Amino acid sequence: MTRTNLNRFGTLIAFVLLCIGFSIAAPTAFASPGNVFNLVQQMATLAIVATAATLVMTISEFDLSVGFSASLAAVICFVLFGQGYDVWLAVPAALLVGIVGGAANGVLVARFGIPSFVATLALGTILSGFAFGLSGGQSLFQSVPEAFKALGRGEILGIPVLGFWIVGVLGVAAFVLTQTEFGRRLKAIGGNAQAARLAGLPIVRDVIATFAIAGGLAALAGLLLASRLGSVQHTMGEPLLLPAYAAVFIGTTASPTGAPTVAGTLLGVAITGVMVNGMTIVGVEPFVQRILTGVIILVAVLVRRVGRAK
Amino acid sequence: MHKLIAALGLASILSLGVSPAALAAGEKVSVITPFLAAIATGEMIEAFKAKAAEYQWTVDVVDTAGDMAAFASRVEDATTSGANAIVLVSVDPAQIQDQVDKAKAAGVPVITIDGAKNASSVLNVTSDNYALGQTMTKFLFDQIGNKGNIVRFFYSAHPGVHQREVALDDALKATPDVKQVADHYVAVPGQVDDSRAAMDAMLLANPGDGAINAVWAAWDEPGIGAQLAIEAAGRKGIIIAGIDGNPQAIELIKGCTPYVGTVRQGFGEMAKIAADQLNLILAGGKPEKDELYAPVELITRESLGVTCN
Repeated sequence: MTRTNLNRFGTLIAFVLLCIGFSIAAPTAFASPGNVFNLVQQMATLAIVATAATLVMTISEFDLSVGFSASLAAVICFVLFGQGYDVWLAVPAALLVGIVGGAANGVLVARFGIPSFVATLALGTILSGFAFGLSGGQSLFQSVPEAFKALGRGEILGIPVLGFWIVGVLGVAAFVLTQTEFGRRLKAIGGNAQAARLAGLPIVRDVIATFAIAGGLAALAGLLLASRLGSVQHTMGEPLLLPAYAAVFIGTTASPTGAPTVAGTLLGVAITGVMVNGMTIVGVEPFVQRILTGVIILVAVLVRRVGRAK
Repeated sequence: MHKLIAALGLASILSLGVSPAALAAGEKVSVITPFLAAIATGEMIEAFKAKAAEYQWTVDVVDTAGDMAAFASRVEDATTSGANAIVLVSVDPAQIQDQVDKAKAAGVPVITIDGAKNASSVLNVTSDNYALGQTMTKFLFDQIGNKGNIVRFFYSAHPGVHQREVALDDALKATPDVKQVADHYVAVPGQVDDSRAAMDAMLLANPGDGAINAVWAAWDEPGIGAQLAIEAAGRKGIIIAGIDGNPQAIELIKGCTPYVGTVRQGFGEMAKIAADQLNLILAGGKPEKDELYAPVELITRESLGVTCN
């Protein structure tokens, strides 16, 4: 294998080695079909939020509101359930809130020129306030319709339902980014926004659309998470933020250009998911788990930088 | 090549991180909580581990730092990894009902400490949280002569803590001369610092003498944060009471600070009861009831034999 191939496939090789290592350490538990089933379920919501982050990073922006959007969507859905609304109304309403919140982020960034880091943090904080207020700070788990639970639980042909969500959402996102004009425009904006503007690309519209899609995906992730757990807390989506960006950064190490890709992000999600799952199964101490998770992100990014510098 | 080396290095580190206990013989018990940073939760887990050592169980402790999705995932992992039992600490299993149902279906008994009763768990060992709230509230109201202004630090997401809040609500209704002038939903983790900042603001918003007479803390850590703020501001005439019997709170009570009382939950006792009952369950028996209460105790300057000027 050439150095170029090693550089390109090194992250994938590291993932395979991790799986082999855990399979040797816990052959009956880690490598069991039941655990693979679990892993797919555990990675789904992170994969969708990380895809939202990937889209926004493609235009060289950040969206720090994704976790808050996920929480608010889930809270709205459960509050509507509590008021007797049907799942077919509550779910679209919650998704719409995510899309509108995302579009508002886009307007703040594209129209008013506010740095995305600031705009999305501010708007995310507002969304978290609404989530807190609507939930009253309490965990909501009453009046959840069976149809809603089915969104994120169970299996079809032995494959977890959440696995289909991963394939569907990430498949569409990958197709849009690589095979459509919209995707190519996003890469152009991310590569050089000034040049894209001079070339006459509809930057404002595309940035708003990208943030709106990211908001919608975050809301979808929140709903799937709520479906999987059967409960909602107003802060439940917030822990998704940092692992999502960590997954995107790890994923960039598998990209030939170092740019975020959906496939790379999925690899990043898989690495972080397998790390935590495997370490739990083999009994790694909690503090060591955190240290190692941080170390692997650093190692991935550093190796990439060293590799590209040569 | 660099990545290959890095991956091998990581695998080596991983092998160092494997708990030797995980390889030992005996029943394997997974203890999982989202709140290990809370002193009371830590106390329960340490007491459980000590008792588990007597029973020669292998105990894996997992903390998800407030992340409920990770909490659900780790319960799934414990079920898959063939744990003989799962112990959930400081959480209502209804928040991850599907995962608890799956553990039950897989034949893995789930018990909770400081949690809530659940159809799919075998046992919950806790304190009667309403009684805890009632005891502390009555003490606090008595201290201010059942008249004055209080502020509330609460966290309704925890089912037990919420029961204490219900006790306060009932007491406020029954005692119209006690008014609640401010409240704060405590951020967890970071509860002490968050509560201190909130109390700073409450003191500024209520500057006059007698504007605040007492602090009602749903558990001791927010009370400790409030104590720091009151001390820093130099405000007099405000007393604090909390719940848990946190060692730092007891030291503050001994030190004649505004912290005047706490209700000890007997966390260690809860954990010991849970371990004893789990031993029974692992031997094929059944617990005495599906919910057991540990004894509680009101701790005050008087009970500690402290005289303050």
